[in-house]
Amino acid sequence: MSRLPAPWGSRIDRGRTVRFTFEGRACEGYAGDTIASALAAGGQWMLSRSFKYHRPRGLFSMTGAEANTLVQLPSEPNVAADLTAVREGMAVTAQNVNGSLDRDRDAIMDRLGHFMPVGFYYRTFMGPRRDSWLKFWEPIIRRKAGLGKVDTNAQHRHFDKSHLHCEILVVGAGPTGLSAAIAAAEAGADVVLCDENPEIGGSLTYGRDDPATLAGLAERAQSLSNLRVMTATLCNGWYEDNWLPLIQGDRLYCTRAAEVVLATGSIGQPAIFRNNDLPGIMLGSAAQRLMRHYGVRPGRKAVVIAADEEGYGVALDLIEAGVRVMLVADPRSGDMQGPFEAELRASGVSVQKAATIEAAEGTAGNRHLARVRVGGRWIDCDLLTVSTGKVPAWQLPCQAGAKVGHDQTTGLMTLSLANAGVHLAGYVAGDDGLEGSFRGGRRAAEAAFSRLGYEVAPNANDAASSPTMRAAHVQPVVAHPKGRDFVDFDEDLQVKDLHNAIKDGYCEIELVKRFTTVGMGPSQGRHSALATARIVAEATGRSVAEVGITTARPPVGPETLGVLAGHHLPLERRTAMHARHIALNAVMKPVGAWWRPYFYDSGDEARKAIHSEIMAVRQAVGLLDVSTLGKLELRGADAGEFLDRLYTMAHASQPVGRVRYCLMLNEMGSVVDDGVAYRMAGDRYYVTATTGAVARVYADMLFWNAQWRLRVDVLNLTGAFSGLNVTGPKARSLLATMESDIDFSREAFPYLSGREGVVAGVPVRVMRIGFTGELSYELHCPSSLAPALWDALMAAGEPHGLRPYGLEASRILRLEKGHILIGQDTDAITTPDELGFGWAVSKKKPFFVGKRSIEMRARLGQSRKLVGLRFANDAKAIPGENCLVLRGGTPVGHVTSVGFSPTLGYTIALAYVYVGDATEGSLVTVKCRDGALVDVPVVAHAFFDPANARQEM
Amino acid sequence: MPLRLLKYGLSRTYPISEDIPATPDLLPSYDVVIVGGGGHGLACAHHLSKYHGIRSVAVIEKGYLAGGNTARNTTTIRSNYITLEGIAFYKEAVELFETLSQELDFNVMFSQRGQLTLAHSEATLRSFHLRAEMGKHMGTRTEVVDQKTVQDLCPQLNLDHGGPLEIVGGLWHADGGTARHDAVAWGYAAQASRRGVEIHQRTEVTGFEVVGDRIQVVNTNRGRIACGQVLIATGGMNYDVALMAGVELPIRCYPLQAMVTQPLKPWLDTLVSSVSLHTYLVQSSRGEVVIGGGSDPYQLYSTRSTLDMKEHLAEGAVHLFPFLQGVRLLRQWAGITDMTPDYSPIMGASPVRNLWLDCGWGTWGFKATPVAGKRLAQTIAEGRVPDILKPFALERFETFRLLNEMGATAASH
Amino acid sequence: MKILTCPMNGDRNIDEFQSFGPVRAGLDPDRTADAEWARHLFRAENRKGVVIEWWRHVPSNYYFLAERDLVSNEIIRTFDSSDPQGRT
Repeated sequence: MSRLPAPWGSRIDRGRTVRFTFEGRACEGYAGDTIASALAAGGQWMLSRSFKYHRPRGLFSMTGAEANTLVQLPSEPNVAADLTAVREGMAVTAQNVNGSLDRDRDAIMDRLGHFMPVGFYYRTFMGPRRDSWLKFWEPIIRRKAGLGKVDTNAQHRHFDKSHLHCEILVVGAGPTGLSAAIAAAEAGADVVLCDENPEIGGSLTYGRDDPATLAGLAERAQSLSNLRVMTATLCNGWYEDNWLPLIQGDRLYCTRAAEVVLATGSIGQPAIFRNNDLPGIMLGSAAQRLMRHYGVRPGRKAVVIAADEEGYGVALDLIEAGVRVMLVADPRSGDMQGPFEAELRASGVSVQKAATIEAAEGTAGNRHLARVRVGGRWIDCDLLTVSTGKVPAWQLPCQAGAKVGHDQTTGLMTLSLANAGVHLAGYVAGDDGLEGSFRGGRRAAEAAFSRLGYEVAPNANDAASSPTMRAAHVQPVVAHPKGRDFVDFDEDLQVKDLHNAIKDGYCEIELVKRFTTVGMGPSQGRHSALATARIVAEATGRSVAEVGITTARPPVGPETLGVLAGHHLPLERRTAMHARHIALNAVMKPVGAWWRPYFYDSGDEARKAIHSEIMAVRQAVGLLDVSTLGKLELRGADAGEFLDRLYTMAHASQPVGRVRYCLMLNEMGSVVDDGVAYRMAGDRYYVTATTGAVARVYADMLFWNAQWRLRVDVLNLTGAFSGLNVTGPKARSLLATMESDIDFSREAFPYLSGREGVVAGVPVRVMRIGFTGELSYELHCPSSLAPALWDALMAAGEPHGLRPYGLEASRILRLEKGHILIGQDTDAITTPDELGFGWAVSKKKPFFVGKRSIEMRARLGQSRKLVGLRFANDAKAIPGENCLVLRGGTPVGHVTSVGFSPTLGYTIALAYVYVGDATEGSLVTVKCRDGALVDVPVVAHAFFDPANARQEM
Repeated sequence: MPLRLLKYGLSRTYPISEDIPATPDLLPSYDVVIVGGGGHGLACAHHLSKYHGIRSVAVIEKGYLAGGNTARNTTTIRSNYITLEGIAFYKEAVELFETLSQELDFNVMFSQRGQLTLAHSEATLRSFHLRAEMGKHMGTRTEVVDQKTVQDLCPQLNLDHGGPLEIVGGLWHADGGTARHDAVAWGYAAQASRRGVEIHQRTEVTGFEVVGDRIQVVNTNRGRIACGQVLIATGGMNYDVALMAGVELPIRCYPLQAMVTQPLKPWLDTLVSSVSLHTYLVQSSRGEVVIGGGSDPYQLYSTRSTLDMKEHLAEGAVHLFPFLQGVRLLRQWAGITDMTPDYSPIMGASPVRNLWLDCGWGTWGFKATPVAGKRLAQTIAEGRVPDILKPFALERFETFRLLNEMGATAASH
Repeated sequence: MKILTCPMNGDRNIDEFQSFGPVRAGLDPDRTADAEWARHLFRAENRKGVVIEWWRHVPSNYYFLAERDLVSNEIIRTFDSSDPQGRT
């Protein structure tokens, strides 16, 4: 074990050992370890094999930012080993290996690189046959694709969502974010400070800073009750109007902040040279994190690349941790000497200026770093730390609208943001050094809280200060003739791959990305964007700023679909009679959001049960729960005029107490809904709409009236009221036995009229309408009383043979009568003419929605019409719904509804046919699902009781 | 091993294949100016130069090549439409995709693994029968399948037995598939430029000089170009570009968002889409699961992403495949769609005599790339609209000859 | 989530609202030729720039007007449809 003694290892609890397995081998770590740190402590540096060449890879940044550290858990693929806490019993395996991590049969890919230049798959795998790609090559490629394996039997997990509001959200709890949050909270603002790490402090927790600095900040932060600190919380995106997702474990906080301060810091960049991907090569900050957070010694013999003060700090840390530092290589030539450099030189470690890392070499199979070549000589080492440059963590700033720039003289990437409610602070704003961070944090906080109206005496120093400019340093790109100088570890892309793409004409940065896939892997360009821009700029003779970087898209870091989805609760609606239906063995089916009885299971087969329900309606009396119908009440002096404009028939002239069919068109003149309107009083109508359309009808009514401004109110009673249709020849005699103040006699209550009253103690509004074609009373009442009414009807109906019936019987009953169902027998271009609904369209009204269009469409001519079809019982085939109607072999229409009519004893259908064939007696050809053609005669719509004697009795 | 791999392996230097030549200086005039360097415009350029001998062609692209909707769509290719006209057109598209890699000598990775559209209700299943019957009649592979077959085609699906979203069946379209969107555009670009077509990137059209009923000059940020014929194929910018020529199109622009997971070992073979959940999924050959849905609910010329759409798509994906809860999302993005009132494209003539339209592609443009390019090249070369494009004429909105594809679009790009 | 400021209900998340599209010019159907009528039905205000459009606050069923930039998505102002200032 290469553990360092305390105080190294701030995150681990040496008193609690955690046992887990990696690649089947027993391993140990401490509570607080990540998978990667525990493995590193045990000497296991190799964590994965790379995407294309299957090269060994290990931890590089310790920030979960690259594919190198992605491992497989039994039910979770692509888990970042350097972020994920190790847990007792965890079974960790490597991903993307053929065999095992140590003996990966696909490691041979590393020697076949020649055969696979950039974009090779676009130029090969096309033959020899037309379908060779699909049948042969793609299956091979697919087997090689992807990283982790998804477990299709994964246990369901609980995810959760919450809302969070604050005045100022500070993202990033490093020195900058801490100072911003403290300054804002001290000014009185309501502040949330979030950071993805398990503790606050950012670089103060692993860098060479005085621990008292962080302790002081933490104490101040803790003392502020209006500052909420959320650690282990990832701010994973910025969306319009400062809407930000904060992810803490399995909970998503959808956060609204008045002001946002982004103190997201920097991202260390790799150096590019041959074999720069070997395990054992890591960012200087990663080595510091290993030591300070986990007490893991990152190597025995190290070479340190230091292009800035932090790099020298890394070297000092390594020496303190007992690592032999062979050489500190500084790519800079100047002799600007910081305190760490001076301290290091004093310790006698050899420092080489203007040094270039040319290449590295690995142990057998490239499993670990063995030596590096600097300035022409090889140095044996098992650790190479890289501190050669950083870029601002641009993802959140760019999502908030920041533009990326590039300073040609310093070689640094810059950000500029013009978004009033978002403030950059710290490294992303160009602040450098600890004092620069503190000042930048306070500056951003002041900008934010002053916009909210908080005031403090401005700190003279801060106000005057503009962002300090960072020291210049250049991230070296040392291309090697033999390649393996990786620009993008995730995608296994080398310098020459980018050059070759450019030679092929893919010169724009987005095309380079798309052709080579640079930046498209799990790291999303964190380590490759700037290097790519530099390489492209150099190769195309443009400036880095002109070349730019590719668009930063959310999310910032990987996020699970589970945390985004949360609980998904599909909307379900039940009518007031739901329990009654269940008690009667109803087979329930969803219709939109509603559950409706499909039929009542009588122990017989479904078809027979449905037929007997139909016959009960035709011969005795049936009861249908129609509560899902849309129910709208319109009140006001202009209610009649309003309906006249919305529907095709005349409603202003409709007498009080009468019920009238209503048909709604859209502006194009297409049929969109139908129902009935019952005029309850001069200024009051009760209007039904179809189940699926009512929400839209209601919205449209209000929309039209926002423009017309008629004196009418619309109330949507769909949920508040229930409906029960009592239908069948014995409906009247049944209702006559019930306690009621309504006279149900034919004379007192004729067809197409409505009455209000009380039935069985329940206040009702009753309409005589005839969807089934039988004598029908539709009783509507408050939903809370509907079960009582249902029970009373069921009890009173027993001697009359009353049966509840379901949706399927209802469909056949209405089909026998030739009634249409909107949406099934109509489509988006159906006109009233096509339905033969001339009778339902007023010729007298000056205006209604769709009038102008149906007139125009009538002039242009119609090509189809809805007709009835009657199938002989010896027909060689019966079509299903939506079978085609052919004319001369060409489809001219289709069957919209079809069913066997137990009443009539044969199969009937509604179908669109060519308008010239729409006359009764014409033969039309229907193509059944099996391809059989059947010639069928056209008959009248109303198959059953065309004279309407039964419904009007 | 394919011969080319061998060639790469044995060659000491990278075999350069200049697919996209550097943008040349603009010439004073071209026979054909194609506005929009996306898949459609490049396909048209390819067909003009290869099959119609028209090589004085400039493709004008304001950004980088194929960086609009060609680069942003989710690459679904299918022909399971409702109307005769729609099926005939997209069937030809699928057929062209089947041989496109050979045509372009560029592997567009057309992967015909089939599309499964799910029905969560009897009503949806009923509507699928119309597509199936029309599709079968027109000779495509489209059929309604029952619940058990759905399970066989995609065993990982949560059928939600007894739930409000129970999958009761589906529409299986064996002709459906995907292709690598960028490769389609690059392949066309490489072929067209080898035959003399000029591709001008970072060249933005700033106006048209219309004299009488003809465009005389196309103005760009890099200079004026006299032109014979002009084609507008600018995706989300079609309304705006056509307006510069005085043509007002019946188009509204809406963002369309999509997202992709980290790469996973392949587990999902078919395209799966759910109309009720407004969600569809497909796993790319890189192993990423691409998830898309419907357009945004209000007009906008922006490719910004929203959290709400991402949450909504995740809900749908996790409902269909609950085990995806632990899978991580990598990226989300958006394109700008140009929607027409009948959810069908506008192709062919415009009120300006030498201006041709390739517009109104909404959410279904990518799949039409080869057929739109081929047929519009024919239109431009012959000066008249072929029968297969006639139903898509702009004038249908004056004569109510709308294509009855409405209600046919949700979540099945 | 974008915020839309309802003239009646104040600042609300935009998912509480439903867009009803840009305001269309009134046209007398009886004095309009067929082709013009069809254009009126199908044409859409879609210029890159600021439009005035109808929105519905769904929970309260209140319809109002908003001035919004179709490119930047900035909502410049919202107002009741009876507001005489609204039409300027």
